[in-house]
Amino acid sequence: MSFSYVSLLDLAVVVVMVTAALTLWRQSLAAAVKALAVQGVGLAAVAVILGAHRHDLVLVGVGVLVLAIKAVAVPWLIGRVVAHDHAAREASPLINVPASLVGAGVLTLLAFAATRGVVALVATPAGRLIPFGVAIVLIGFFSMVVRRRAVSQIVGLLTIDNGIALTAFLGTSGVPLVVELGVTLDVLLAVVVLQVLVAHLQRHFNVHDLDQLRDLHD
Amino acid sequence: MILAILALPLLAGVISALAPWRRGVALLGVASLAGVLVLAALIGRASLVGAPSALGGSLGADPLSALMLLVIGAVGLLAALGGVRYLDSQLERGACTSRQASLYAALVQGFIAAMILTVLARNIAVMWVAVEATTVVTTFLVGHRRTRGALEASWKYIIICSVGIALAFLGTMLLYVAASHGHGTASLDWATLVREAPHLNHAVVRLAFSLIVLGYGTKVGLAPLHSWLPDAHSQAPAPVSALMSGVLLSVAFYALLRCRAIAVAALGTDFVRTTLLISGLVTLGVAVTMLLHQSDYKRMLAYSSMEHMGLLCLGAAAGTPLALAAVLLHVVGHGLAKSVLFLTAGEIVEADGTSQIAGVSGLLVRRPALGGLFAVGLAALVGLPPFSLFASELGVVRALSAAGLAWVSALALAALAFVVVGLSAPAARMLLGPATTAPQRAPFSFSVPMGVALGALALLGVVAWPLSSLIHAGAAVAL
Amino acid sequence: MTSSVGGGVASALQLLWILLAGPLALGLMRKVRSRLEGREGASVLQPLRDLRKLSTKQRTRPTDSTWVFAAAPVVLVASTVVAAAFSPLVTLSALLASRVDFVAILFVLLLGSVSLLLGALDTGTAFAGMGASRAAMVGAMVEPALLVAILAMSLGVGTSNLSRLVGVGVTTSALAGPARILALVSFFIAILAETGRLPVDNPATHLELTMIHEAMVLEYAGPDLALVTLGESARLVLLLGLFANLALPWGIASGTGALALVGGLLAVSIKVGLVAVAVSVFEVTTAKIRLFRIPELLAGAFLLGVLSVISAVALR
Repeated sequence: MSFSYVSLLDLAVVVVMVTAALTLWRQSLAAAVKALAVQGVGLAAVAVILGAHRHDLVLVGVGVLVLAIKAVAVPWLIGRVVAHDHAAREASPLINVPASLVGAGVLTLLAFAATRGVVALVATPAGRLIPFGVAIVLIGFFSMVVRRRAVSQIVGLLTIDNGIALTAFLGTSGVPLVVELGVTLDVLLAVVVLQVLVAHLQRHFNVHDLDQLRDLHD
Repeated sequence: MILAILALPLLAGVISALAPWRRGVALLGVASLAGVLVLAALIGRASLVGAPSALGGSLGADPLSALMLLVIGAVGLLAALGGVRYLDSQLERGACTSRQASLYAALVQGFIAAMILTVLARNIAVMWVAVEATTVVTTFLVGHRRTRGALEASWKYIIICSVGIALAFLGTMLLYVAASHGHGTASLDWATLVREAPHLNHAVVRLAFSLIVLGYGTKVGLAPLHSWLPDAHSQAPAPVSALMSGVLLSVAFYALLRCRAIAVAALGTDFVRTTLLISGLVTLGVAVTMLLHQSDYKRMLAYSSMEHMGLLCLGAAAGTPLALAAVLLHVVGHGLAKSVLFLTAGEIVEADGTSQIAGVSGLLVRRPALGGLFAVGLAALVGLPPFSLFASELGVVRALSAAGLAWVSALALAALAFVVVGLSAPAARMLLGPATTAPQRAPFSFSVPMGVALGALALLGVVAWPLSSLIHAGAAVAL
Repeated sequence: MTSSVGGGVASALQLLWILLAGPLALGLMRKVRSRLEGREGASVLQPLRDLRKLSTKQRTRPTDSTWVFAAAPVVLVASTVVAAAFSPLVTLSALLASRVDFVAILFVLLLGSVSLLLGALDTGTAFAGMGASRAAMVGAMVEPALLVAILAMSLGVGTSNLSRLVGVGVTTSALAGPARILALVSFFIAILAETGRLPVDNPATHLELTMIHEAMVLEYAGPDLALVTLGESARLVLLLGLFANLALPWGIASGTGALALVGGLLAVSIKVGLVAVAVSVFEVTTAKIRLFRIPELLAGAFLLGVLSVISAVALR
């Protein structure tokens, strides 16, 4: 029983990790949004698996909420922007794809190094996966730095957010429901705001690439 | 009382959003903020004798929260008055529709409510949720003028702040991880965390606090994630700039102070002090350097905000009761002075049509009231007596020396001197110089509240009344 | 003594199985692809018939080619067969099972790739040379990914002995940790690239702009072509079989008894069949990526391998 719990959890975390790498790997924005949706599914699975293991119904409920928001609603919202965008590719990231994948590997190493203390403290099958959560945060950060498309930035931001949620699920015995609701609401609202902003920039100023936004500087 | 102060702006916001636009909606905002200020004063009194709370203790006010509520109320009221004038002129020029005016009014109220929730929340994760909510709400306010520059600023603002604040959330969660595996019950309640802090795992708290400084520091405007600040402050409508610079930065700083208290209780002062010193000094350096090279007076004011936040950070690094009291006094003083200045700058832009320093001259002759307010406000900002910023800056510097950080206080003093020079040269160019048009009076609806605010600042600087007991109690909480 | 006799029997069985399973798997994959595309498609046995037909034809070789060209198909088949004989496909106790290293098996297999590449260069024709250079590029990037994946799997088990690597999955859980999953994903991508399947290479095209592998073997005809096809398909099945046994180690025989061998034979045939069907379903739904994006794909496989190594070390 506990064996299959551990392997299921491992599998779900690996799904989240691989989709985070996929957002750096693929240049097509539509693929990045799809990867994000799968990432949401993986994250929801982590919550449900943990909830089932700990007999924590609230956590299972949180998993369902995550599924609805991060696997369905958010990708749908971003997908609408991509659908309007004709040249929906990350054509020229600051760092080319192979190099940024190597960068992601280095960041993962960094995450493992930085979280040794946390892993030692938690000392559970879930806790040993915490470095992946932090690595996903760093990869999201990295992809925001190297990617120039507005949509890529949103995807990076949400990757960071998923990484944090993963860390929270794995490291604690469940975040209070009110916090989880608040965070989810914030994320959803932020995505709505970003979506409106991007749509406005595209429609009225024909801005797709953030390099075009260079009006403000010192 | 606690619930009322939160419900008042929320209710006003809902009404503004739903009711069809009329001028009364803007006035409703003023009334709501006046109510917030009164309630804040009442809560301040109550917090000195007891601990008012609501919703089973998940919301509550200690003196530190109460002081922040007062700042929110005071600056909010000034900004709401400025907001009436901003919307009038925008509608008159046809630069915004009545729908957008309603949205503006509603978002400002939501912004105020989110800040109030930040300072009232006892749970540090709820506090985080509220800080992130301020980001989401203010994005449209920053971009309210809908120019390309304004949208660029709001894009940078929400992206950079969301990333930064996400790091703070990671830090918060790591604190929770530490608490889940310490002694006692896992909790995100601030008081419980401070009590349990000595049992928390040091390595994890260290990582968490570094992330929190970086994260909330983004929102405070601390280097290295500060680049949104000058853009957002210069592109936002003047009342929004006043709110953001006057209170939002301090509210984020308040969140940092709360987390600092936990970290100090867990780790002792050394690590916390080093982290905050580095952050504060780098910010101060960046701000002063940029300040000296500005050609745009709104950006200049924005960098000045950064400089003050760096100073606050140094005060928090010192961490003695005197330092924290000075920090809190500085939060009040900076809030009032900076909001007066941003609102006045907004009026100048409105009058002269440019935010370039070179485009404005002879202000004292052409618009004596505006020019006078701007001059006095700048004097208050750079810390000339009798204004309270003089007392608080002196307090921070003295506390740094007393904490054995004399070299830091020397650096801070040097930075302050540079700022005086950097601000007075452009100010002289704007205020003096040839006047091209005949003198014009500013409306009383503008100059009277601003004058009152500057008067309060002077009063606070001379006798520290009526806030001295609240400030000392607040400093004791944050210790 | 008996065990080495049993091991010899098992190895011989694997050797024969791979020669038969190769063409059959090729036929199966073509069949699945046809069906998914709405065509009836040729029989699963068609590749076997093709081989018989080709082997009876006259042998033609380019005029300026040397013995390198002639030897390449033989080396390809021989290396594949040798690798198959010693790999844990049907049973964990094939000949020399305790000595056979994963890296060794892979390099024996690569011997075939290299000989084919040299054979293509030997013809001196434009297409073959182009194909060889492309294949060399892909191969140069596949190898690090493969090695890192093997390293990751070995770190988890503590050995790179192939039978132990497969056997550890039998005794414990198949999904033993994120390291192994990541390594297997990485290994799988590398296999697709190494055997010239989509999305790296399209085995069904002779379009000069895109072909890699088909360009290399363009000059082969008759019995030589039969050997190349046989060797290539056997190599595909061997790699898929290794992958299947590493990912889903159930059913593999641990001894060399007759019953165990039959069971293992059935198990590995079913597993390879399933993986082959999965690969062709994947191939129908995907398009070949452009040549200059292959590095991105393989860098991704490499990244997964690195992630796997990191987690193997850190989560041990």
